[in-house]
Amino acid sequence: MISVRHVHKSFGQVQAVRGVDFEIEPGQVVGILGPNGAGKTTTIRMMTGAIPPSRGSISVDGLDSISQTIGVRRRIGYLPESAPAYREMRTLEFLRFRAGLFGLRGRRRGAAIEKAIGLCQLEEVRKRRVGQLSKGYRQRVGLASVLLHDPKVLILDEPTNGLDPAQIASARSLIRHLAGERTMIVVSHILPEVEKSCDRIILFAGGKVRADGPPESLITALPGAGRYTVEAKQDSPDGRSAEEVLRTVRGVRSIESSDAGDGWVRCLLGFEVEDDDHREGIARHAQAAGLTVRELRAQTPTLEDVYLRLVAYADDHDAQKRAEQTRRQQDDAA
Amino acid sequence: MTGSLTIARRELMSYLRTPVGWVVMALYLLLSGFFIAFGTLQPGEPASMRGFFGVSQWLLLIVAPAISMKLLADEKRSGTMESLMTSPVSDWQIAIGKYLGAVFFLLCMIAPTLLYVGLLELLADPDYGPIVAGYLVLVLVGMVYLSVGLLASTLTESQIVALLATLFFFLILEVVSVRGGGLVGEPYDRAFYAMSIQLRIADTAKGIIDSAHIVFLGAICVFFVVLSAVTLEVRRWR
Repeated sequence: MISVRHVHKSFGQVQAVRGVDFEIEPGQVVGILGPNGAGKTTTIRMMTGAIPPSRGSISVDGLDSISQTIGVRRRIGYLPESAPAYREMRTLEFLRFRAGLFGLRGRRRGAAIEKAIGLCQLEEVRKRRVGQLSKGYRQRVGLASVLLHDPKVLILDEPTNGLDPAQIASARSLIRHLAGERTMIVVSHILPEVEKSCDRIILFAGGKVRADGPPESLITALPGAGRYTVEAKQDSPDGRSAEEVLRTVRGVRSIESSDAGDGWVRCLLGFEVEDDDHREGIARHAQAAGLTVRELRAQTPTLEDVYLRLVAYADDHDAQKRAEQTRRQQDDAA
Repeated sequence: MTGSLTIARRELMSYLRTPVGWVVMALYLLLSGFFIAFGTLQPGEPASMRGFFGVSQWLLLIVAPAISMKLLADEKRSGTMESLMTSPVSDWQIAIGKYLGAVFFLLCMIAPTLLYVGLLELLADPDYGPIVAGYLVLVLVGMVYLSVGLLASTLTESQIVALLATLFFFLILEVVSVRGGGLVGEPYDRAFYAMSIQLRIADTAKGIIDSAHIVFLGAICVFFVVLSAVTLEVRRWR
């Protein structure tokens, strides 16, 4: 459905996107994550035909985003961040205007507007000015405006940004409902939201794709997955410390301990083989050594861990490359 | 073309929905009406709209940039430009639609002044030739101001900057063309004259419709609308 091939985008000296490559299949719900300035919005804008790539190509439903840009835009419903709308217009007028831009006329336009109003629950505010609506309703008006032409691809940039918890829940359920019918791309900073609603996550950092896959596989692929927290008495009856006892558990690769107060210590155990469940082995070993344990818990990494780890890695990597480049330039100059 | 008309219709409605549109219209009608009441409709004055057209063309120099300043600058400021740029309409359709919307509003603003013609008809026996010529040129001059204003509005997010840029463009053009003529001699005087919009208007106010003036004013409109569309396209590629 969407093919992004070796795409680069520069604004003057700034390289916003550097060799991005991915494909999105029809019906997929894809979450795009990344810190500010990661290149995700620029990539989205290139996909929608708003701006052309400096290098590389993007196609949507087989149409090139530059040479067939109008066709591409007809296939995409793009809701930019903060759902901009003309504040002086009434909801119905705004939807009529947007339908007109997509070439909808007469009965088709009326039917499309009514369907979008029903879907986004805008009956109450159809005659109210957009500028007088709450942020939640404005977001829904924006969403209705991008559904009018029944797009094959729906791209939502930060769809729940700035909404209160009730509005977020409402927007989330609407998005989930819409996701069943079409290819959907959600750009968001809210990681649990993306984790819950997306089949696949593409993580951007420093203008590149740093990770791409289903949320579960990204989490399990994280180095350090399969760690265990053990809270135990500082010392065992045989005089060894809890850390010394736990270090001898079979398969332990690393151990970090910290004081948990009142004679208790918290140890974080990492294992050579991360996929297995090591809880039973730890419990048996501690019992054999007479170590009093009050907590034994497998640490489940979250998408946030993946995000932070990969973004930090990207920053380090880029910093190293910059340092390397500077060193080469200095060598050349010398 | 339907995309342009959709944009034009929305643009016209936005003028009629916001205070700026009504303030601009009221200002123009008040000042031009003031001139009609205390200038033209006085005993002994000729039954002509010549004075009104003269004043109106200067009023438009201020009023038209106030109309055009929001065309694209406001879209960029409010973020609606992003939605427009990702709609299935070309940059040409956007530029033409915006321009037509402003021109429609200009026509709405000038239309009530036909009442002055009616008053003149009631009180005297006016010659309709110069009146028709005057209105034609008035609309064309307004369209020229709007076309330059459209370009200014594509170049900035600030409405004030767009307004001032348009205003100063025409003021400098007039100063250079009117004051420049006669200072340097031929053939430059003719070039300066050719640049001046007000000097061309002065000819038409006498009731003479010179097709060269009409073509000149029309060509300026086309030139600046095309330049605005090209600017929009270039900005995508930057």
